[in-house]
Amino acid sequence: MHIFAEKAGMTRRQFLKGSGLLAVTVIVSGIFAKIGIDAFAAGDNYIAQRAAGLYSLDEKMALRKSHENPEIIEIYREFLSPGEEKYLSAKAHHLLHTKYGKNIPAFIEELKAPGQNENSHEAA
Amino acid sequence: MSEEIKGKILKHDTQTRTMHWIHLLAFIILGLTGIGFYWDIAGIANIFGGPANASLVHRWTGVIFTLGPTLYILLNFDRFSRFVDTISTFTRNDFAWLKTMGGYVPFIKAEHTPPQEKYNAGQKILGGLIIAGCLLIIITGFPMWLWRDMLSSAFLALCYNIHFWTAMIMILLVAGHFFLAAIHPKSRVEFASMMLDGYVDAQVTAHHNAKWFTQLQKIE
Repeated sequence: MHIFAEKAGMTRRQFLKGSGLLAVTVIVSGIFAKIGIDAFAAGDNYIAQRAAGLYSLDEKMALRKSHENPEIIEIYREFLSPGEEKYLSAKAHHLLHTKYGKNIPAFIEELKAPGQNENSHEAA
Repeated sequence: MSEEIKGKILKHDTQTRTMHWIHLLAFIILGLTGIGFYWDIAGIANIFGGPANASLVHRWTGVIFTLGPTLYILLNFDRFSRFVDTISTFTRNDFAWLKTMGGYVPFIKAEHTPPQEKYNAGQKILGGLIIAGCLLIIITGFPMWLWRDMLSSAFLALCYNIHFWTAMIMILLVAGHFFLAAIHPKSRVEFASMMLDGYVDAQVTAHHNAKWFTQLQKIE
């Protein structure tokens, strides 16, 4: 009964192949990281350009705040809160707030109900 | 080989077997948790304490999956280099072996199997695919964990796709590897050499890995 084993150590060819594979691993990881960094930079650049575009559009607007818009002021004074600018009036709350659901006819009936707009949402 | 050779060959030493066991267990845990996430299988996630814990287990097992071979390579660079040299060297004998698939496939006749090195041509291809697959899984896994909040969704989607498809291929490869290493009657004779004591029968090696056998030295 004999015991056999392979020789320890490595030849120059084996060393080069082992090191070569490690080098390839580092290069592949580096290329992948570069793709990730470039994708991140492209995303970052897009966000910066988009923000700059929105700010530049906003700066060009004559009216930049909704509560200073004469049409909004008028609709509140004449309809949503007659005689004053009460932005959270019951009628404004009822008409302007979004409701979600499938029963659209019921929502329309609710809006048409007499007295609904004036009183029912004061407490809401 | 007519002459009978009595003896044993130390094919895989303790560190190689330890690394193989660690990588195997990590792979099973990663595969199970990964399949659990992808197909939203509550039964698998619950084995690990629910989806959140399964996610934690997946990530930290991924660290073990990465550190296991890394430490092995750093501490056993000579063994690693010999392995890389063997699996990346294809000779005429390897191509001849591939033509008959070493006689492992029932419907391909193989009257004569060409002499093979420590690993046969099939094992060489598997070794290369496992190394490439592990690398892809590792380099796509960590960005999904560590930098998911800052990376672009397009790059993360690329990572997810590479990670998933590589994992699927790896699971199939490992299933084939398990069949040949543990079940197939012709090749399971080497099972203990990686999973238990590291030794393989000299007579078997002289037949299956004739080229390698001639390079071995008698130590006892």
